[in-house]
Amino acid sequence: MSDRSITFLKDRRTGELVEAALIDGVSRQEVESTESAWRPFLMNSLEERRRAGNSELSPPEHSHWDWRRKHEAVRGLIAYRMFGVECDGAMQGLMLVSTAGHPCRIKEQKGKEQVYVDFVATAPWNSPSLVEISKFSLVGRVLIATAVQLSMEEGFRGRIGLHALPQAETFYARNCGMTDLGNDKRKEELRYFEMTPEQAAAFLR
Amino acid sequence: MKFSFDKEWLERHADSDQNLEIAAGSFSLDQVPRAMGKPVGDPAAEPRVVAFGRLINLSRRKRGWSIEDLAESSRIDVSEAIRIEHDPVYIPGPRTVYQLSTALDLPRERMLQLSGNMLVRDRRLGEQAVKFAARSESVEKLSRQEHRALEEFVRYLNESR
Repeated sequence: MSDRSITFLKDRRTGELVEAALIDGVSRQEVESTESAWRPFLMNSLEERRRAGNSELSPPEHSHWDWRRKHEAVRGLIAYRMFGVECDGAMQGLMLVSTAGHPCRIKEQKGKEQVYVDFVATAPWNSPSLVEISKFSLVGRVLIATAVQLSMEEGFRGRIGLHALPQAETFYARNCGMTDLGNDKRKEELRYFEMTPEQAAAFLR
Repeated sequence: MKFSFDKEWLERHADSDQNLEIAAGSFSLDQVPRAMGKPVGDPAAEPRVVAFGRLINLSRRKRGWSIEDLAESSRIDVSEAIRIEHDPVYIPGPRTVYQLSTALDLPRERMLQLSGNMLVRDRRLGEQAVKFAARSESVEKLSRQEHRALEEFVRYLNESR
């Protein structure tokens, strides 16, 4: 069963903050509808790029993800939660988190429980690697703030962890203030970031 | 659960957040999330993972390589090479699978599926993997039967790409 909370995104066309919904417990139907909106936009954008002779530009690193499979893979598992941000009648971002099985790695909180962000991504029309001006900004901030609040609710005091794709490292290091623990050999050598309770408090200030 | 978001806080950070990618997760195609170190959502994965380990073992021995030779050629740790060959629930990362596939000249996408990194849509792969795992029970030396099993399975993997 899903729950909706009010949040806000910035509409880049008007520069105004507009109301959006944070969905806790994205349904199969919502994931299907999201993929059927995201996939054609992505393919059309890449095709337009190719026609314009810009095919050498890197597409978003998560272009190949299929959220239907991710949703199916965790169906019925209570440790996993899928969140979405809906605005303007469409899903603007999705996030899958787990609340077990990923103990903290930073020395001062090593072994403690945390919320681990398995996957997070914005809609392709919000991806700066794909479009010149994204439709909405703040999708990432809303989703990471969601992970932090869930961590607090679970008694993990705001501790969260994730493996950033290279194009997103700046967001987690600079804008979220997470600790960069370097390349993780166990996870495709992606950089692993972790947030302490102090960093979580600073992030939400 | 209800969540709360301060509008002023969002407004304050809107400019610095724009034009930044936020994707986190994994490079690999449709990697199945793991719970407590085991694959989830794909209960059929385990026999394939056994077959993956056996395939690496036989392919290595066919070349007359030691575990150390395999680790060096694939640029992975010896301890990981041992786990890959002997731990039926251990799933190596996609990068490791790519490196093993290159070193042993095996088809990469099929290896990702066998290793439990990708969901398998082809039911026959699961059947072939189980058959291979059953036929290739470990012995000290690569027997003619193992050799044949290995050849047939690799041929199947290459043909069904």
